[in-house]
Amino acid sequence: MTTVKASPVQKSHRISRTDLLQFLMYGRAFIALILVVLIFSILSPQFLSAQNMVIMSKHVAQNALLAIGMTFVILTGGIDLSVGSIVGLTAMIAGGLINEGIRLDFLGVIIYPHTWTIIIISLIAGTLMGAINGLVITRFRVAPFIATLGMLYVARGFAGLRNNGYTFANIVGRPEFGNTGFERLGAGSFLGISYSIWIMAVFALIAWFVTTRLPFGRHVYAIGGNERAAELSGVRVNPTKAIVYMISGFCSAMVGLIIASELVAAHPATGETYELNAIAAVVLGGTSLAGGRGGIGGTLIGAFVIGVLGDGLVMLGVSSFWQKVIKGAVIVLAVIIDQAQARMQERIALQQQQEIGASTSRQSTPED
Amino acid sequence: MRLLLVNQPLKIRETIGNTVKEEVRIKPKQQNKLLLFHKTILNLKSEEEEMKTKLFSIVGLLVVLAMIISACTPTQPATQAPATKAVEQQQPTQPPSQSEAQPSGKKLICVIVPPVENPFFGAMQEIAAKKAEELGYETLKLVHDDDANKQMQLIESCIAKKAAAIILDNAGADATVAAVQKAKDAGIPSFLVDREITKEGVAVAQIVSNNYQGATILAEYFVKLMGEEGNYVELTGRDTDTNAHIRSQGYHDVIDQYPKMKMVAQQTANWSQTEAYSVMETILQAHPDIKGVICGNDTMALGAQAALLAAGRKDVIVVGFDGSDDAIQSIMKGELKATSLQPVAEMATQAAIQADLYIRTGSTGKPEKQSIDMVLITPENACHYKQFAPTGETGPCPTPPSQ
Amino acid sequence: MSLTSTFSSTAMGSMAIGDKVVLRAENITKVFPGTLALDHVTFDVYEGKVNVLVGENGAGKSTLMKILAGAEQPTQGRILLEGKEIRLRNPLDATHYGIGIIYQELNLCPNMSVMDNIFLAREIRGWGSIDRRTQRKIVLQLMKRLEHSIDPDTLVSDLRIGQQQIVEIAKALAQKVRVLIMDEPTSALSAAEVEVLFRVIRELKAQGVSIVYISHKLEELLQIGDYITVLRDGRVVAHAPIEGIDVPWIVERMVGRSLSSVFAREEHQKGDVLLRVEDLTLPRVGGGYLLDHISFELRAGEILGFYGLLGAGRSDMADCLAGRRPEATGRIYLNGKELKSNSVSERLAAGIVLVPEDRQRDGLVPTLSVAHNMLLASLQRYLNRFFLVRRKEGKAVRDLIHDLSIRVANPSQPITSLSGGNQQKVVFAKGLLTTPKILILDEPTRGIDVGAKAEIFEIVNRLARQGFGIIFISSELKEILAISDRIIVMSKGEITGEFRREEATEEKLVAASFVGHTANNHKNENHHQKNGREH
Repeated sequence: MTTVKASPVQKSHRISRTDLLQFLMYGRAFIALILVVLIFSILSPQFLSAQNMVIMSKHVAQNALLAIGMTFVILTGGIDLSVGSIVGLTAMIAGGLINEGIRLDFLGVIIYPHTWTIIIISLIAGTLMGAINGLVITRFRVAPFIATLGMLYVARGFAGLRNNGYTFANIVGRPEFGNTGFERLGAGSFLGISYSIWIMAVFALIAWFVTTRLPFGRHVYAIGGNERAAELSGVRVNPTKAIVYMISGFCSAMVGLIIASELVAAHPATGETYELNAIAAVVLGGTSLAGGRGGIGGTLIGAFVIGVLGDGLVMLGVSSFWQKVIKGAVIVLAVIIDQAQARMQERIALQQQQEIGASTSRQSTPED
Repeated sequence: MRLLLVNQPLKIRETIGNTVKEEVRIKPKQQNKLLLFHKTILNLKSEEEEMKTKLFSIVGLLVVLAMIISACTPTQPATQAPATKAVEQQQPTQPPSQSEAQPSGKKLICVIVPPVENPFFGAMQEIAAKKAEELGYETLKLVHDDDANKQMQLIESCIAKKAAAIILDNAGADATVAAVQKAKDAGIPSFLVDREITKEGVAVAQIVSNNYQGATILAEYFVKLMGEEGNYVELTGRDTDTNAHIRSQGYHDVIDQYPKMKMVAQQTANWSQTEAYSVMETILQAHPDIKGVICGNDTMALGAQAALLAAGRKDVIVVGFDGSDDAIQSIMKGELKATSLQPVAEMATQAAIQADLYIRTGSTGKPEKQSIDMVLITPENACHYKQFAPTGETGPCPTPPSQ
Repeated sequence: MSLTSTFSSTAMGSMAIGDKVVLRAENITKVFPGTLALDHVTFDVYEGKVNVLVGENGAGKSTLMKILAGAEQPTQGRILLEGKEIRLRNPLDATHYGIGIIYQELNLCPNMSVMDNIFLAREIRGWGSIDRRTQRKIVLQLMKRLEHSIDPDTLVSDLRIGQQQIVEIAKALAQKVRVLIMDEPTSALSAAEVEVLFRVIRELKAQGVSIVYISHKLEELLQIGDYITVLRDGRVVAHAPIEGIDVPWIVERMVGRSLSSVFAREEHQKGDVLLRVEDLTLPRVGGGYLLDHISFELRAGEILGFYGLLGAGRSDMADCLAGRRPEATGRIYLNGKELKSNSVSERLAAGIVLVPEDRQRDGLVPTLSVAHNMLLASLQRYLNRFFLVRRKEGKAVRDLIHDLSIRVANPSQPITSLSGGNQQKVVFAKGLLTTPKILILDEPTRGIDVGAKAEIFEIVNRLARQGFGIIFISSELKEILAISDRIIVMSKGEITGEFRREEATEEKLVAASFVGHTANNHKNENHHQKNGREH
């Protein structure tokens, strides 16, 4: 029994143009980072100094932390516009706890929690706000854009209400209350690297681990890819979605603490428009806003690209208006390339399907 | 001179002068990211393509290594700090300045201000930078967008660039203290203009307009225009800005003495012209019987004025604060009635001069807090001022067309 | 027995004299990066006839159709309309020339109504704005023609897949076409609806419309077709008028060999009662019932077939068993113990798994790889403490790929690169990895070519042999008669017939599926046949 010999074009093992293009696509964020570093190091001699690298990484760390939380949310196909406001509100909560403590008039006492307790309370507060986002989105079926937009305003309002628009200044605490040392979070360093960079590294590692090695991570990707299919496969969709918003809230709270600690002051406008930078980092890193595609690694690269780009332009003395133009152009370019890559992947998938189909028809079934 | 340890590409040892700085990891995250990046690719490619990916990744690694090696260029010889004796007189704890000459050979002064769409801050930045360049410095003009965190990051960048001095119109009195302290710890003196901070001894100079005095003279004129009686509205500036409160306080210390002057509404328009426009519109609906509007700055006054004109209310007396060219134009046209001129040019120039003096001699010869009096601008003297400075003309100003 | 000769008009049988070729794809070659999808294919569409096109997945049918519809450009070759060459740069050009196409993957906007979908981009205008009255009238006419009572204002997302297919057909009918290409138009329709469609097709033929008909349902083709063309590996391997052609002939040319029997059957032991459903009820939004007090049993090792028309309630029943409808009432007993849970994850844990009707919508996550799709429902089994172990995952995937003969080069490749049949097997695998007791298969062979279909039947038989309880929902009479041990027929939310395989015939099944559909009073008369045995 002879089989028909089909003659599709033989797949060459040399590196073809499509392969090169594919590689460039996958690695575009990384390549962008290398390019950006190269360009700035040529144009500005202090750029590659160790000190500058550390400073840039510190700046990136803040956005990267927000972006890590945002990655989880976007992977499920949602979005979190409230991260900047949660940053501000947690900063105000922490600053207030240090400077004013908890006033219990009916008992006639003022409680001054210790620094670590304050940090934990603030982190819980941020997570709680994320939980509210999650609840509104899953239980009341409000679109994530709307729900988190509402939280953006509500949290920002509460941040202003906390101290009537004033800043909590000089949040160093008093030794007799045991709430000193807060500023060490932002100013301190370990092995010459600021704590915030370490925190970013730890968060990133944990997040990467969760997305790749934990069932929860798989569930997140499934929900973003096809929520109905995920549900039918036994994924508990609503709790998972709520949790990703809590993760985002937690990361925002962390950033709020870091900023308040660096400035040694809690400012109600802290974090305004930060959500946009976070989303930009996520998108630049290759995560699709439709959900189901992307990852933590890409987000980190994206955060570095944006951060290095911004700081580099500052070092060059480029006008702040041009900085905005360039940033916007880079983001749009990244999305255009992302879509081109998706189309290319589709075409490759179609090819492979043709090949598989062609090879199937040549095989014989068991019974004959 | 920097040494690259070949078998441990992640660590770099840096020697400056006689001291060896501690090992610093250069972008440890990058190394991790290489691995993460590879994992992503491998998951999606078939066996034969994995080989190609490995080839590409080696190339990529080589590029990164090449960059790190290229970073090992010898640095410029550090210029010694000027004599520290005079410095100790003023600030005993000032460490030796580490400012270096920039590649151009000149020293760097960073000029950091709020958004320059507001001509006030735009002029401030321009004048300070121009003076600094006249005195032989290279300048870096930066904008902190009223975000204390961004301000901190900009100052850190200036520190990294080994600036000689920072001229700053800050983003929040309390929130800026830490940033200025950081600059000081790095040996960079700060010269604040227009807005103060709530701690002394960190900045070398705080050169501000006497906002309070400017507010009171404006308020007195306003009361006179109102005939000491009537309903008025106050538009205040951004809540987080100290100046907003100082000016409002100045207004009220004067106006509140007149029992027949009634404030029917007080709202913030956050220094913004557009916000003032819509706030004014709304307030006008609620209180159609107002006689005057007193604003925390010119841009808000112009916004309120536009709203009033659009509603056909040419009778309402509007006064601003700052003395911007737009406001002066408006006064000469007969729309805005008065403003208080901030001696911006004076402040900015002084900041540059004092910075230069400090860098060369270690002292400015002046106390830290310096306040410069403001000038009341009315139709009578409006034509004598331009770009926040007197033009030198002395002739009488043309009377504005009657409304 | 391989046939490589392409058609030449003198070699094969006689054409009816006067059959004009209205549309010709001449010497079409289509090259994708790395593959040759079509290799010098010449395809003639005869005017006023049904031109059937068959071939396995990957043979090139879809590509050829897309080229005719203007959605793809040929690398070489040309298209002739009534002898004159035309260029189809995009689907709009095709529409302009009167070529319409009904795709297999329905091109409907789920968020819009039936009427809006039908007239999308061809809205009827009255004084500038959309003339809804006329549109609605036309839609109702179309629905009457197709013998369906779908409200024009229903949202497409609320329709079952079969109803969506009717809408897709109506959409094509609403245009004036000369050549109508239909890609698997009956994949989700049951026997009755297929008859209606065939009537419509004959009407169109009488009007001079030429039909290109692609299908995997080989008996249907023989009923409706006039000419048949077989594609294999991108080439035309056979072309003939339909007289004298039978299924083995087609299959032989499609797969290049003969298949003794696609529907293999074997006896297997049936065990104890595995599942007992009592009084399962699902109210319908707006009154009435989607499921009206359904009760039945399923034994271990038994294949229980469910037949019925669209909207009979079979898929709703499946959804309820799987836990997707928490609002359903009634009792379900698994191995004697009542299932109190009401969520999908709990039913999965209990051992009930559903392979859904619409694998694109409900079965697969398109952004994940083959392996990740397969493992999605059973992740907790590959944990070491709390993180996933690659080795365990890999082994599970490899085992299932082997057991189900899934053709895939690398389990890490995207699921979208697999053919329909292999994708369906992955969904199977996903369910099997949860070590279920009961598998509910809702139209498992829809849109799958003959070769893969046979493999799926083989798998189903094997599973029954191993003691699983299988519920097999299908709209294909032959299929359900061949595979099932017992067949339950549903109509309008009730069980209207139950037959053991020995006593079941096509007529009985069809009759039972019609209960309640003809005159108004029939439903009341046939009430006593609810849960009844053979009548």
